[in-house]
Amino acid sequence: MTDFPTARFRLLSGQIKAVIWAVIAMLAIAPFASATAQVGGFGGVEPNINARFVAESDTPKAGETVNLALLMTPKPTWHGYWINPGDAGIPTTLDWTVPEGVSVGELRYPVPETLIIAGIMNYVYEGEYALLLPVTLSEDLAPGTVLPLSVKAEWLACTDEVCVPENQTLNFTLTVGDGAIDDARKGRFDAWRGNLPAPLGSEAQYSVSGETVRIAIPLPNSVELEDVYFFSETDGIIDYSAPQKLMRGDDMLIIETGAYGAGEGVMQGVLRIGEHRGLSLTAKDAGEAAFAGFADGASDILGNGKGGADLALGESSLTIFFIAFGGAVLGGLLLNIFPCVFPILSLKAISLAKAGGAASEARRDALAYTAGIILFCLLLGGAMLGLRALGAEIGWGFQLQDPRIIFVLLILFTGIALNLAGLFEFGTVSVGNDLANKGGAQGAFWTGALAALVATPCSAPFMAGAMGAAILLPPAAGLLIFVGLGLGLALPFLLLGFIPALRKMMPKPGAWMDKFRKIMAVPMFFSVLALIWLLGQQIGNDGLLLALAGALSFALFLWWYGVRQRGGSVRSWLPVAPAFAAALAALLLLPLGGAVSGSVGVSSNETLASEPFSYDTLASLRSDGRPVFAYFTADWCITCKANEATALQRTATADAFAAADVTVLKGDWTRQDAEITRYLEEHGRSGVPLYVYYAPGGEPQILPQVLTVDTLTALVS
Amino acid sequence: MSRKFAVALALGASAIVATGFSVPLVAAQKTGQQAANFTLTDANGKSVSLSQFRGKTVVLEWHNPGCPFVQKHYDSGNMQRTQAAARKQGVVWLTINSGAKGKQGDITAKQARALVAQQKARSSHYLFDRTGKVGKLYAARTTPHMYIINAKGILVYQGGIDSIPSARVDDIKKARNHVTGALNEIASGKAVSVKRSRPYGCSVKYAS
Repeated sequence: MTDFPTARFRLLSGQIKAVIWAVIAMLAIAPFASATAQVGGFGGVEPNINARFVAESDTPKAGETVNLALLMTPKPTWHGYWINPGDAGIPTTLDWTVPEGVSVGELRYPVPETLIIAGIMNYVYEGEYALLLPVTLSEDLAPGTVLPLSVKAEWLACTDEVCVPENQTLNFTLTVGDGAIDDARKGRFDAWRGNLPAPLGSEAQYSVSGETVRIAIPLPNSVELEDVYFFSETDGIIDYSAPQKLMRGDDMLIIETGAYGAGEGVMQGVLRIGEHRGLSLTAKDAGEAAFAGFADGASDILGNGKGGADLALGESSLTIFFIAFGGAVLGGLLLNIFPCVFPILSLKAISLAKAGGAASEARRDALAYTAGIILFCLLLGGAMLGLRALGAEIGWGFQLQDPRIIFVLLILFTGIALNLAGLFEFGTVSVGNDLANKGGAQGAFWTGALAALVATPCSAPFMAGAMGAAILLPPAAGLLIFVGLGLGLALPFLLLGFIPALRKMMPKPGAWMDKFRKIMAVPMFFSVLALIWLLGQQIGNDGLLLALAGALSFALFLWWYGVRQRGGSVRSWLPVAPAFAAALAALLLLPLGGAVSGSVGVSSNETLASEPFSYDTLASLRSDGRPVFAYFTADWCITCKANEATALQRTATADAFAAADVTVLKGDWTRQDAEITRYLEEHGRSGVPLYVYYAPGGEPQILPQVLTVDTLTALVS
Repeated sequence: MSRKFAVALALGASAIVATGFSVPLVAAQKTGQQAANFTLTDANGKSVSLSQFRGKTVVLEWHNPGCPFVQKHYDSGNMQRTQAAARKQGVVWLTINSGAKGKQGDITAKQARALVAQQKARSSHYLFDRTGKVGKLYAARTTPHMYIINAKGILVYQGGIDSIPSARVDDIKKARNHVTGALNEIASGKAVSVKRSRPYGCSVKYAS
């Protein structure tokens, strides 16, 4: 407030300056001589961005690192530039002259803003901003030594209309002392540190395909994001002025934007996830522009049935694709023994064995079954990719984990399980018999389709990697990954169809088949149980009760249907209508909001009780002689979440900690809490995770970044 | 299993957010491909088309007399030297001003002629592109932003005038002049070694 007159004057002078510059610009020729005077030095002329240095401590300690801030104050309407200025502009440079025993580190830039002027993207700062840099003092420096530092700083100051390169030689001194930091300055530095991007910790990937770049960034689905924008620090990969499209799924954030050049090597950048909040990251080149050529080739294969011989593909990109494709095939193969699929598949396999004699029939069935599976996988994959594309066009923000989809699967699985158990039969012929007797290519085809459908819930564990690739790849190539999944799923059956020797090994059909079918209902019921658990996680107890009431009514009506079937009623199918009506009613009434907002992505239940971290709490616990375990985490940190799920939030860990009377302190750095930032810096870390154990009276022990239950329990035993 | 299951569903219903921006630059010209033709009026009121120079190497230079980065290269004489060397090789040099009316660097034809005379600029034509149509066709982002089109009409270089993005005149002698470098390679029948570089300078002052 006391600064008011000065601020007022500055504002006015800024406006006057802008007007003067506009006039100069109009006159065009006149400024040539005068404008050069602006370049280099300010002979008494006030710069458009005022620069000065502030040290966190004016009396830093020898052997320690002190933070310096280059505080930049642009006049109103002026802006300065990020390390990558964008389409135009230049970054700030510093040329240091420092005495012996002083070493200056790298400039750290806060998260920038985007500024588009007439289609040209600028990465800028409007308003005051601070570039931080660490200065380390040698241990040999004696207390009281005065250290004169001199830096020639050069930067570009621009308005929407004009740019002025500015430079200033800044001189200041530090005195070697006790490292004391006064509270006001600590507060300012904490605020500036809070504007720096936090290191993401996990590696991202990018792929250039024609005019498009896709960047895949590991980020838990549960992280809330605002104003998301990816600032590339590396030039020549992304087109800065192109819009950025975002997609989320599988704990991955995908950014799709325009390519600028072929792009190769590592790309560094900052992902903005909120106002002045960002994550710094490194993205490796996952697959090259050859993916684009691959997409064309892939559509050729699908469209014309031609081979891939004329694919103009780099060897490495083929390798990447085949790894994803191979993973999908293998995943599909393994799916066969999963509770979702095995019951259906085994019955069908037996029916094939029964058709034992006619080899041609077996082959035809196997092919029809494969076709059914692959077509359905393509349909599901296409729907998935299509939804994405559709959503992108209409800007549709779909709820990530829709409980309605889970409910529909719950009803489907309940129906199949009850059918296998023999409670009712599909149509008038029993399913077992249907599958075994009806035969025919059509029957085999639909069995394949059903297998693919019921396999979807089990497919994810094997598809996780391949799914990521499917999203990154162009649509045609992505679809091919789904074909791979289908092929794998169909593989045992194909083999049975084409190798008579295998068929001979299958047991002969008989009365045991009915018993087997009923046993197969058991894994199906377990699958239902898993779905119920999942649904409960999403919609809470009350919602789950409603869903189960719907499922129970559905089951009861089917039971009644079965009774009527066995009784030989004329219209035995009548109860089917109310069965579906009950399911539909429950579906419509299902709560969507969800009781647990944390959703499935993060374990919301804390097995290991903790208190929020603070220096005071830590100090008081330590002075009481209590053992303390401190852990530092953030919602966007995949490594942290993995450690919590596999090691921290475990009963064994919690029990061991409780037995040793360990107090757990949790530091949540999701919003870059200043106190935690300082703690991390003190421990030589720029980001999370960090795990520290304080034995009573002992030295703090920093634990590895990857934890196990054993590591943790060993600490306290 | 169940978590992954949810993920599978999540994938099927991925949330999508589209971040919109105002009109980006239209598709750039690709190095190694035919450069798009254009017709503009020069400072003498003459109509000039790129296609009329087929058979000759053509340099395009985006210009804004008010931009300090342009001034760095003109006040030091670097741009004029580059132009003179190019003209000596029979190269056509087109200086293009895409600044919109009322924006920085918007000058009249008369002012342009005076400027060329005063600075002893050696360009073949000083062209006006006030609508920014040609600038956007070539995705010119900065002043200066340089393009070289060979005798066959193929774009062989686009990017900065040299390799050190700064406003310091001292850096000119330390930097590689990409235009001179490329023109010398073309003159001796070699392939252009640096086909693309990062342009640096002020943003082109388009109307919108």
